[in-house]
Amino acid sequence: MEISRPETPEPQILLAEEISTVRSVLGSGYTDIDIIRALNASGNNPNRAINALLDSPKPAVCTQPVRSNAAMSSFGSSKEDLDFNLDKLISDAKIKVQEEKSDLGSQQNHDLPNVKRETSMSSGKVDSARPLPDETFEEYMERRNNADKKEGKAREDSNDSLQNLTTSNPLPYLNPRPIRAIKPPDCVVSDRRLQVLPNLNEPELGNFPEEHDWFLVGKTCVAGLSTCRGNKLLDAGEVVHFAFPSSDRDFGGVRVRPKTAAAMSAIVRFSTKRSGEIGKLPPEWTRCLVPLVNSSKVKVRGSCVYSTVNLSLMQEVLLYMSFYIHSSIFTECNKDASNLTPSLVDSTVNPLATLFNMLKIKPTKGAEFTPEDLNSRKRSIHLRDDMYDLEQPSQRAGSSKKQKAGEGESYTDLDKDEQAISEASLNKLVGTADHYNLAEAQPPSTLLCELKPYQKQALYWMSGLEQGVTVEKTSKTLHPCWSAYKFIDQRAPTVYVNVFSGETTTQFPSATQKTRGGILADAMGLGKTVMTIALVLSNPRGENLEFCDSDSDDSGTYIKGGTLIVCPMALLGQWKDEIEAHAKPGSLSVFIHYGGDRTTDPRILTHHHVVLTTYGVLTSAYKPGSEQNSIFHKVNWYRVVLDEAHTIKSSKTKVAQAAFALSSHCRWCLTGTPLQNNLEDLYSLLCFLHVKPWCNWDWWTKLIQRPYENGDERGLNLVRAILRPLMLRRTKETRDKEGRPILVLPPVNMRVVECEPSEAERDFYQALFRRSQVKFDQFVAQGKVLHNYASILELLLRLRQCCNHPFLVMSRTSTQESTDLDKLARRFLNSSQTNSSNGPTPAYVEEVVENLRQGVVTECPICLESTSDDPVLTPCAHRLCRECLLASWQGLSGGPCPICRHVLNKSDLITCPIESRFQVDVENQWKESCKVAKLIRCLEEVLRKGEKSIVFSQWTGFMDLLEIPLKRKNIGFLRFDGKLLQKQRERVLKEFSESKDKLVLLMSLKAGGVGLNLTAASNVFLMDPWWNPAVEEQAIMRIHRIGQKQQVQVRRFIVKDTVEERMQQVQAKKQRMISGALTDDEVRTTRMEELKMLFR
Amino acid sequence: MANSNLPRRIIKETQRLLSEPAPGISASPSEENMRYFNVMILGPTQSPYEGGVFKLELFLPEEYPMAPPKVRFLTKIYHPNIDKLGRICLDILKDKWSPALQIRTVLLSIQALLSAPNPDDPLSDNVAKHWKANETEAVETAKEWTRLYATGA
Repeated sequence: MEISRPETPEPQILLAEEISTVRSVLGSGYTDIDIIRALNASGNNPNRAINALLDSPKPAVCTQPVRSNAAMSSFGSSKEDLDFNLDKLISDAKIKVQEEKSDLGSQQNHDLPNVKRETSMSSGKVDSARPLPDETFEEYMERRNNADKKEGKAREDSNDSLQNLTTSNPLPYLNPRPIRAIKPPDCVVSDRRLQVLPNLNEPELGNFPEEHDWFLVGKTCVAGLSTCRGNKLLDAGEVVHFAFPSSDRDFGGVRVRPKTAAAMSAIVRFSTKRSGEIGKLPPEWTRCLVPLVNSSKVKVRGSCVYSTVNLSLMQEVLLYMSFYIHSSIFTECNKDASNLTPSLVDSTVNPLATLFNMLKIKPTKGAEFTPEDLNSRKRSIHLRDDMYDLEQPSQRAGSSKKQKAGEGESYTDLDKDEQAISEASLNKLVGTADHYNLAEAQPPSTLLCELKPYQKQALYWMSGLEQGVTVEKTSKTLHPCWSAYKFIDQRAPTVYVNVFSGETTTQFPSATQKTRGGILADAMGLGKTVMTIALVLSNPRGENLEFCDSDSDDSGTYIKGGTLIVCPMALLGQWKDEIEAHAKPGSLSVFIHYGGDRTTDPRILTHHHVVLTTYGVLTSAYKPGSEQNSIFHKVNWYRVVLDEAHTIKSSKTKVAQAAFALSSHCRWCLTGTPLQNNLEDLYSLLCFLHVKPWCNWDWWTKLIQRPYENGDERGLNLVRAILRPLMLRRTKETRDKEGRPILVLPPVNMRVVECEPSEAERDFYQALFRRSQVKFDQFVAQGKVLHNYASILELLLRLRQCCNHPFLVMSRTSTQESTDLDKLARRFLNSSQTNSSNGPTPAYVEEVVENLRQGVVTECPICLESTSDDPVLTPCAHRLCRECLLASWQGLSGGPCPICRHVLNKSDLITCPIESRFQVDVENQWKESCKVAKLIRCLEEVLRKGEKSIVFSQWTGFMDLLEIPLKRKNIGFLRFDGKLLQKQRERVLKEFSESKDKLVLLMSLKAGGVGLNLTAASNVFLMDPWWNPAVEEQAIMRIHRIGQKQQVQVRRFIVKDTVEERMQQVQAKKQRMISGALTDDEVRTTRMEELKMLFR
Repeated sequence: MANSNLPRRIIKETQRLLSEPAPGISASPSEENMRYFNVMILGPTQSPYEGGVFKLELFLPEEYPMAPPKVRFLTKIYHPNIDKLGRICLDILKDKWSPALQIRTVLLSIQALLSAPNPDDPLSDNVAKHWKANETEAVETAKEWTRLYATGA
């Protein structure tokens, strides 16, 4: 009986807070008993108790056991210490209770029968600390409260009962003061008289119990604002009740605008039982608490800190609040982040994390990035608004379905015009680490080639990722989006909060969970293919692992497959060749799924280790909606590798959708350019890799895309952190642990060849320079330098060309050009004869042709520029930039002439002969310039050794000139410039690398497109300095790359004492400007300085 | 904001409009938005609008010069091809736009439209009817409006 009975702790514990308050005022001179007595007499109001104690003489006898005193005296006087002391006290009390129980048990036993009688019959306050046998606990507590209150009225009786209180009922600590924040049920008190007695003016006091399901998160003081005025509304320690706005969206049937609804829900009021509403919580707490409390995962208890005698409006009311979190929050959280509704996605400021933050609970381990980082702008949570957003995804899904059905492919090139992301900013973005501390994996024995150390590292990294747990370390690393929290309540486990989704879990979220695979983004030429082959060989079908989990619920419908490699059509052969070359014969069976005669039986695919196919085949096989149709989608692959994975950069395209829909255990993206045009490219890769939650478009836009577009660096930081575990990117500059480059190429020998101009050349140059200087000075004097930037560049251009060869500057018109023009004129005249009504008059055509012949500059009527790269003539004899004209047309094949509205066909356009070349008859009057002479000497020297050379110049005109001495000296050469068609280019490059007698390649850099591999040559001659040193660098890189076995000799030709020398200085000085680090204004001033420097 | 990345063509056109203005026309860009021009056109001699100074606004959309500028009379004008909101019925501002046209040519065309109203292709039905039914009277109204609204402004 004794055991089953509800138990009550000692009054010291019950009233600990009040006692300490009293002590803080009066000092430790009073015993607990005195204070408790006083408190009881004053309705547990410490202020009144203090007054009562001061009025009465100080008692001499200490009836309290010493043990208890020691515990009590450890109370600090400051509010901050209180929680700690309370906890300590509770633990002390527990021990004490155990001891005292045995002493006092017998006394309690025979007391009990009287209790009920006493309570029901007499004053009802005899030993109210004891519960009645048939009473529920709550009823009991309620009764006790009322009894306590009555005690103030019936002081004469209190001594007896107090004695009982202090000496008996030392019950174990459990729910010492369950005064709940809810209104107590009515009519629990059976005694009629008692119902009259409860004094509504008495404050409701108390602390709050520890409850089984509710873990105490923390306590803090919150300053509320009063919303009413009056006398004596609050006592210190008085319990306040909070009224939270309901989460119901329905406002009395009236559909309220989200904003209004949010405003209406934005107030949390608090009240006391006796005074009604007191005030409201400050907005920051409201914002954070409303969604939490409405989720019924969190509850709040509060009491008033100071008593207020006179409350005025908008006065600060300090509340001491405790926050509890329900244990269910730790169990109901197995849902996946990506399943989260957009409404949660939108609440970037996540309430729970905010609560932790406001409680100043520091995460024991913080997330590496937080939404606050991303979103410093002020924003509030409008959960209601978000509910309207819920409708959007379905619409989006609908529309994307439409796209899939119809014009899926047309989205591919939408972004083409957008500014491409440069290599430099790509590196900045994805961060090439200086070195990776990765172990090296032993390549499989079936791999025939020797792997370089960095390739072994990649193999280690890739196999690690395929096993799901990368390295032991990363599995112990907290996922960067999660924070770990520990509560005050020791019972609660460590809680991990996803700072973005608000997801909570008690399970440790490690850095890499779901994604098996990643992005191998090594720069071109580091051997991604070989690394992948090594990976495939080391584990061809995942037989070492049990891979039956995750991706497919009904794996019965799937057939297990090996590795699927999807690549662009052009690389299909290369993959096959490389696999054959590097894999030991018989170790891998390769099946190429391509061409007209394709099997439809997926089992054939699964019989092979590796299936090669192209994006085109994958896409055409994919039927959106019914993906089971596709042969690829019927197989549950062990591994899918996308080569040149940027092919799927547009996530809406059918090719990307087809890739996303593949079912696979591991997924890999190989690409040298994970970002081609914009950040969105990356999103598509993450989608393919199933990186949660970033493969959710809402998450992506919210936290990455939009911040990035708004120029918020934190979007990028997030991307970087997401990619860190997922992406391996090394470049040729990457160094290993010892600081050596991972890829050692033969060194480059750079040399500047200074050319001494002849007397005649110097005179010519000086004349030209003086003339240019005069013009420049004029511009300076007029303050119009920057307005005439183009003219000045033109002056400089002439000077620079003069350095190469004076012929380049000497005026124009060659026999070749004039025949071109004559042909042109004839064509016009012919066409105007046949179609005289529409065509231009012969006179006009003649004028146009004559102007062209004389090099008269006309401006394009659309861009108003006179220096067009690619002018065209229309059949109606109007001259425009080709680009402008084509842009003005709606259709691709033709449109009206912008000037005369004559309908044109694209094929009718006549390419204008651009600047005619040389006025002098260069062949017959040939004279070498100092630069040409030096070059020929160098070339002859190199040719003797049988080495191949590339000569770079910016001007095809100079290349024309160079042809003359080369021919005369019988030096075999090839030429590569913009006039060549793609086919011809390939032929020239092939011929150059294979030829034994044509050892020189004249090359214009502008024409040398992407991916040229010129490692056959080992000598580079840069004939003229570029403005941009990066361009020179690029030129050298075509020769100095993987596969280069010889030492590369680079020679840059500079003519002494000319503008070229000064350009070198400018180059060195203005590197920063070129890299775009300067602002517009700075650029302007530097340009000015730079120009002045050149004309000095 | 709107002024950054202003195409060179617009800059060039603006410079030329300011340095060599067309007779009877002035156009100056707004300081806040270089694509927005305050335009004044003098009423052509020997037209009902002679002596009037007509204010217009001109805006170069993002697609300009591939799309026509948007032009509107701010001054009230009685003209069969201009409605009471100041909108102008002129083919080159619509389907006959060509990127070879410029602000200057557009404004010259509008000036020409004032000299040669075209009631057969009306924008303002009432005015056009009036013009066709009784041209003298309509011209008088136009003169009156010019005096009322387009002078002394």
